[in-house]
Amino acid sequence: MSVPLSQMVTVASYIVRQKLARRQRYPLVLMLEPLFRCNLSCAGCGKIQYPAQILKKHLTVEQCVNAVEECGAPIVAIPGGEPLMHPEIDRLVAALVAKRKYVYLCTNGLLLAERLALFTPSRYLSFSVHVDGLRDEHDDAVCREGVYDRAVGAIREALARGFRVTTNTTLFDGTSPVRMRAFFDEMMSLGVEGMMLSPGYSYSKAPDQEHFLRRTKTHALFARMLDRPKRRWKFNQSPLFLRFLMGKHDFDCTPWGMPTYNMFGWQRPCYLLQEGYAATFRELMETTEWQRYGHRSGNEKCQDCMVHSGFEATAVNHTFGSLRGFLETVVVTLTHRL
Amino acid sequence: MSLEGWTPQLGPYLTLEEVVEHAFDYRGNVTVVSTDGTETVGYLFNRDAGAPEPFVEMFDEAGQGPIRIRLADIATITFTGKDTAAGNSWTAWLERKDRERAEKAAASGA
Ligand code: SF4
Repeated sequence: MSVPLSQMVTVASYIVRQKLARRQRYPLVLMLEPLFRCNLSCAGCGKIQYPAQILKKHLTVEQCVNAVEECGAPIVAIPGGEPLMHPEIDRLVAALVAKRKYVYLCTNGLLLAERLALFTPSRYLSFSVHVDGLRDEHDDAVCREGVYDRAVGAIREALARGFRVTTNTTLFDGTSPVRMRAFFDEMMSLGVEGMMLSPGYSYSKAPDQEHFLRRTKTHALFARMLDRPKRRWKFNQSPLFLRFLMGKHDFDCTPWGMPTYNMFGWQRPCYLLQEGYAATFRELMETTEWQRYGHRSGNEKCQDCMVHSGFEATAVNHTFGSLRGFLETVVVTLTHRL
Repeated sequence: MSLEGWTPQLGPYLTLEEVVEHAFDYRGNVTVVSTDGTETVGYLFNRDAGAPEPFVEMFDEAGQGPIRIRLADIATITFTGKDTAAGNSWTAWLERKDRERAEKAAASGA
């Protein structure tokens, strides 16, 4: 694990407070989508297929801050679309940092180098750069050549200026474990703080439906890829989530763990499925039929899903919800054996 | 199959509620025709058939909204806008790339 101690303490104390309050459902990370427009058009992405008037719109800083306050999660991830295309992204980030929220600004890196001057390095701000593998794999995944080199250049620049930088990687069918291990080496050589991994999810609206990993394939890929992980590899996520991806845990989804807010409202039930919108966070939590989601629900749409936004919160809860989970996390962290 | 251009024929085999579900899934603009004949063109992003007064919600073509329309006031919905999710597959991108590589190789060999 590569999360800074202050962030770990903040998250741990937040979870303990929720448990002491006997709250059954609480959010860990707010997925705040301030806009949908993007400067890439990846075949695997279900987030940017909208008519022009929707792609032109964005949430105001005030709308975003209100959503963050309503939700109360200690971490705010800002995906999109490409958030650096938001005209006031600097003001938004500054407002959230001032509230001591740990912000992960997810970017494809194309605009990062030129926009860095808008931001101030802080332990509360991390650029989470989307890189889906080594140069060929990444450029294929984003359907444009040259993007990998631009992203890597931006990572170097951000690190040189003292920013926290992580990577986030979505893995698709056909991924080579050997190439991915080389990719981990490459990212760690750049000096990133940590890497985040997730298998892709087959968005019903993503134009490409053939390349998303199914569950058994996911286990096989992650088991090979993360077998005897090198000590220098750092992952910016729960080790138990990685063990789940390797088939060593049978977790179910915690869809409310990473709720999503965008211009349509609070998305039901999760970051991936769009089954409707609630006007307030409270309405989302109280009126969503949560029992209809996750592996054990039998819901067809959830059967192959193992994504970070659904299962990482389960892994984190397992760590803090049981002595066994806590000890397992400690052992994995200390021995570096997944 | 894309629903682009579809004008549903409401009747015993196709209810308005079903058309609303299709419109909710559709990633293009639709035209909501009200019972008084007025038309609202835009992106239908939400619906709630279980609400005390079932409704749909839209952003119009200018991006204004959310506009809430009661289900009881809707005569029909037509799929007038371009389906933004259609086409553009990864396979097509890979094929294009292969073609370009082959062309480059052929050109350098010539
Ligand atoms: S299993 Fe996946 S698709 Fe289903 S609710 Fe959880 S995150 Fe969403």
